[in-house]
Parts: sequence; structure tokens; C-alpha cells
Amino acid sequence: MSIDKHELPSSARSPQDWDELFVGLQQEPRKKGWVWLVYLMLFAIAIPWYWPPLYRGSLVAGLPMWVAVTLGAIVLLAAWTAFVITRYWKDLDEDGVQSP
Amino acid sequence: MTAVESAPILFGPGAFIFIGLYLLSMIGLGLLGRKRRVDDSLADFYLGGRSIGLSVLFLTLYATQYSGNTLFGYTGKAYHIGFEWTVSILFMFSIIVGYLLFAPRLVRLARLRQFITPGDFITFRFGSRFLTLLSTMVMIYALGNYTLAQLKAMGAAVEGLTDGAVPSAYGIVALAIIMVLYETLGGMRSVAWTDVQQGLVLLVGFVILLWIIPDLGGGIEAVVEQLSISDPAKVQVPTLEACGTWLSYILLLGFGAAIYPQAIQRLYAAGSVRAVKRSLSLMAFMPLMTTFIVLLCGVTGAVVLPDLAGSEIDQVLPRLCALVMAQSEFGYWLVVVVFAAALAALMSTADSALLSISSMFTKDIYHAHLRPNCSESELTRVGKLCSWAIVGILVIIAIGTDKTLIRLLELKFEVLIQIVPCFFLGLYWRRLSARVVTIGMIAGLVCALSLSVAGYTKVAGFHAGVVGLALNTMVCCVGLAWETCREQPAADQVHGSLA
Repeated sequence: MSIDKHELPSSARSPQDWDELFVGLQQEPRKKGWVWLVYLMLFAIAIPWYWPPLYRGSLVAGLPMWVAVTLGAIVLLAAWTAFVITRYWKDLDEDGVQSP
Repeated sequence: MTAVESAPILFGPGAFIFIGLYLLSMIGLGLLGRKRRVDDSLADFYLGGRSIGLSVLFLTLYATQYSGNTLFGYTGKAYHIGFEWTVSILFMFSIIVGYLLFAPRLVRLARLRQFITPGDFITFRFGSRFLTLLSTMVMIYALGNYTLAQLKAMGAAVEGLTDGAVPSAYGIVALAIIMVLYETLGGMRSVAWTDVQQGLVLLVGFVILLWIIPDLGGGIEAVVEQLSISDPAKVQVPTLEACGTWLSYILLLGFGAAIYPQAIQRLYAAGSVRAVKRSLSLMAFMPLMTTFIVLLCGVTGAVVLPDLAGSEIDQVLPRLCALVMAQSEFGYWLVVVVFAAALAALMSTADSALLSISSMFTKDIYHAHLRPNCSESELTRVGKLCSWAIVGILVIIAIGTDKTLIRLLELKFEVLIQIVPCFFLGLYWRRLSARVVTIGMIAGLVCALSLSVAGYTKVAGFHAGVVGLALNTMVCCVGLAWETCREQPAADQVHGSLA
């Protein structure tokens, strides 16, 4: 058993050859601009930059208000990520039939 | 609620038998992995024959991502800065967002081209031996440091457990031998299967921690009220500069940890794209089950044991556990399970990093530069020998580290993150050349290392690695624009002469 040498680097391929590598990738999250807008918004909520200085707030489930809001944003971020992966990452080869 | 005195953790013979059996079971799983091997190929040894299913993939990703530092270092940090460490939940989550930016394309390419190491992608994409070698050296350096940190923590755990009766060096050697034994027996199969066991123990350990630790302070509400009086800064919202550091952490981990070679190789090893997608979906929720619990333990420690200082701070979790042990027989056994979880966190991270280093040395250095025509069975053999050699070197360093070397040995993300453009940009910007990426990477490395060595670990709240990455990315953007402009007139000239 020996290992084949790699071919021409992909950077030297034509745009058509390059695109052909990803023909089976029907959808990918990176290309959906609004997916990243939602991420930006949720990260902006999760980072506690907008509270007044020295703020603690009343307790929510035993936690300071700003911590509870950050945690809520992280739960939404996680749920959003699970949705984005399911909805916007589509590969023809999903079930494991590997190309030669 | 008043502060209490803590005694050291002291386990009896029953606990040692339990932990001994737990460690032996890992070698058993290693033997099972060896029995299930299909051939002597690199894909079989390093990627488990690319057949890992959803549950194993998820648990191996989980056990690998959450290390000993999560348990000890993060509790210490939460103890020290309080709820500001909520950032740890956010940055551990950001790693999954990092995957979304490159994994769909990388997984597809890896399956098409049968990649084994991250270096295989870099060679395929850029065709530059120098760039692959440089990237491989950077990844081996970062992973070496990562493994070293785990080994040191293993030694500290064993020494603490036996109250100094077993010196840390013996603990490091014994656990390293067990780890490398099961790893070389069955490669990725053994490592992934032990990760399943370790991941489950880790999950159980975190549930137990959530159950027992906040109660020591009278519940989380009482802990917050107490801290509001004794140390209000620990419950107040972070300053604007600290929020800048939150952003820096998100970038550092979101980019840096997503390209950890052992994580990339798990994406390669998946039996299907569906398994990768579902595992990552589940992983998005794990910071809430893991780092959040660690945060609660740390802030509880700040109330229950308020006088820890210096290196004692990283011992806050074992000291809290000692208090639980002293309360009842049941509490004692719960702590035994938590200790097993700590060992699981340390070993699962170290074994994965070790396997990854071995694969990169074998495939991207030995095969690519020293023995290009050798067989895969020879490479697999060399990989196993390499694992023993690396562990030997790391154990020697872990036992007797020169203090002046410590800062260099702490550098992980600062250097690893400079590989990011190869993946995040290389997969999407077809015209990005090896020359530009190489110059960007060298610029980023020089910047990050110079800042770190000079003691500027943060610049305006941003980590040195993130500053280096910004320079690195800027070089890539400017270089790409320059090369595109230079190629355009040449192409126009060719078209003109043809016309």
C-alpha cells in the first residue's frame, strides 16, 4: 500500500474545477447573510456591554439579572445553531456513501 | 453563612480500587479497539476507518473539548472574578459557530480526497510543502503544550488525592503509560471508545457537582446575596473594557479551538455528514451543561472558602469536594465519581491530542519529507513509536520544567490561531495563494509571540493571538488584492495579443 501524491493545488485550478469539488454541497450556512445577522444580534445581547456600570439587578432563578439575560441569549444561540445546521447545511452525501 | 475550614481529600482503599478498575477498563477498551482493526492503514489507525457514528462522535468531541482545565482552571477563574466568568459559557459555545464557517466544505473535501491530517488539506489546497510544514510545526507545538498542561494536571490530581504520599511525578508517569498504551493498541478506535466512557463519566460528574456544590453555600441565591455583600464586584456587570475581552475570548476560542487538529480529525473520522451535523448541534448546548456548572462551583467557592490565594485558587474544586466528603459516606462516593470525571477530562483530552501529534508527525513530516515511498503499515508502526517518544519527552518536561520556559509552554491558542486563514479563507477564496498565506502566518506568529514574550498578553483588552490574527488576516486581504491586480493586466495582455 502506498500513498498517492497530491495533485495540482486547488488554488491553481480553474474556477469551474474548484466549484466542482463542492457540487454535492447543496447549501452551507456561511452563504446565508441573514443567518450571521441573527448571530451578530444574539452575540450583542449575550455580551453585557449595555448595562449600567456596577449593575447587578434583581435575581432571576438565583442569578443576577445580567447573567440571566446572557444565559438566555446563549440558549437562543444554541437553539439557533441547531436550526441553522439542520436547515442550511445540506450535503448530498449525508448518509455516508463516500465518493471514491 | 460563614467561611469553613477544608481538609485535604483523602481516599480509602475502596476508592482506589474503584479508580484502579476504571483505569484498567481503558486498557480493556484499547484491546477491543485493536481487535476491531480492519488493516494497517493510516485511515484505520488514525481515523477509525472513517466509520464513527453519531453517539461515539458526539461523546468523543465532548470529552476532547472539555479538558482538565475546564474543571480546575475555570473553577479557579470563577472563584477569582465571579460572574464575569460567564464568558466561559459563551466562548465554549462560539467554537461551534467557528465550525459552521468552514466545516461543511472541509468535511466534503475530506471525504472526497480521503484526508488524514489537517496538513493534507493544506497540501491539497495550497500545494506548498513549506506552508504545510510550517502549519504542522505550529499545530504540533500548540498540541504539545496542550498535552503537557494535561499531564501536569494529572500529576497534581494524584498528589492531591494521596495528600502528597504519591509524588506528582509518579502520577504523571503511571497515567501517561496507561494513556499511550490504549492509544497505541487501537488508535482512534480505542481513543474514541475510551472517550465515550470518559464523556459519560464526565457528564455524570457535572450533574453531581451541580447537585452537591451550590448546596454548600446554601443554594445559588444565598451565594449571590452573600457575594453582593462581601465582594460585590463578583456579581456586578463587567466593565466596558472587560466586555472587549469577552469579544476577544469569543474570537480566540471560536477560531482557535475550532481548528484544533484533533477536532478536525474527528470531523474526518465521522461515518457520515449527518453524524457530524447532529454531533455539532448537540455540542452547541454542552457549555450550558458543563461550563455553567463550573461557574456555579467557582462562585460558591468564593463564599464557602473565601481566603484562597495564589496557586491555591486552582484547588478550589478539590477543596469543595473535600467538604462534601466530610459530610457523609454518600458524599464521599459522589466525590470519588467526580474525581474519576476529572481524570476522564484530563486523559480524554491528552490522548486525543497525542494521537493527533503522532499522525501529523508521521504523515506530514516523516512521510512527506523523510520517507515518501514507504508503505502505510510502516507509517502506522512509526506513528505508534512516535506516540511513545512524544509522551516520553512531554513527561520529562512535565516533571522538571525550567521556570523560564513556562511562558513559552503556555502558548497554545496564540500560535494555533494563526492557521485560521488556511481554513477559513482558503476554503472560500480560491485565488488566495500559498505565498500570501505563508507571509500572513509568519507575520501573525511574530506579532503574537513578540507581544506574549514581552509580557503584553493583552492589547486594549484583546489577546495577543487575536491581534496577531488581525495582522495575519490583513496581510491575506492586501496580498490577495495585490496579486489579483497584478494578474489582471497580464491576462488582458494575453487576450489582446490573441485578438
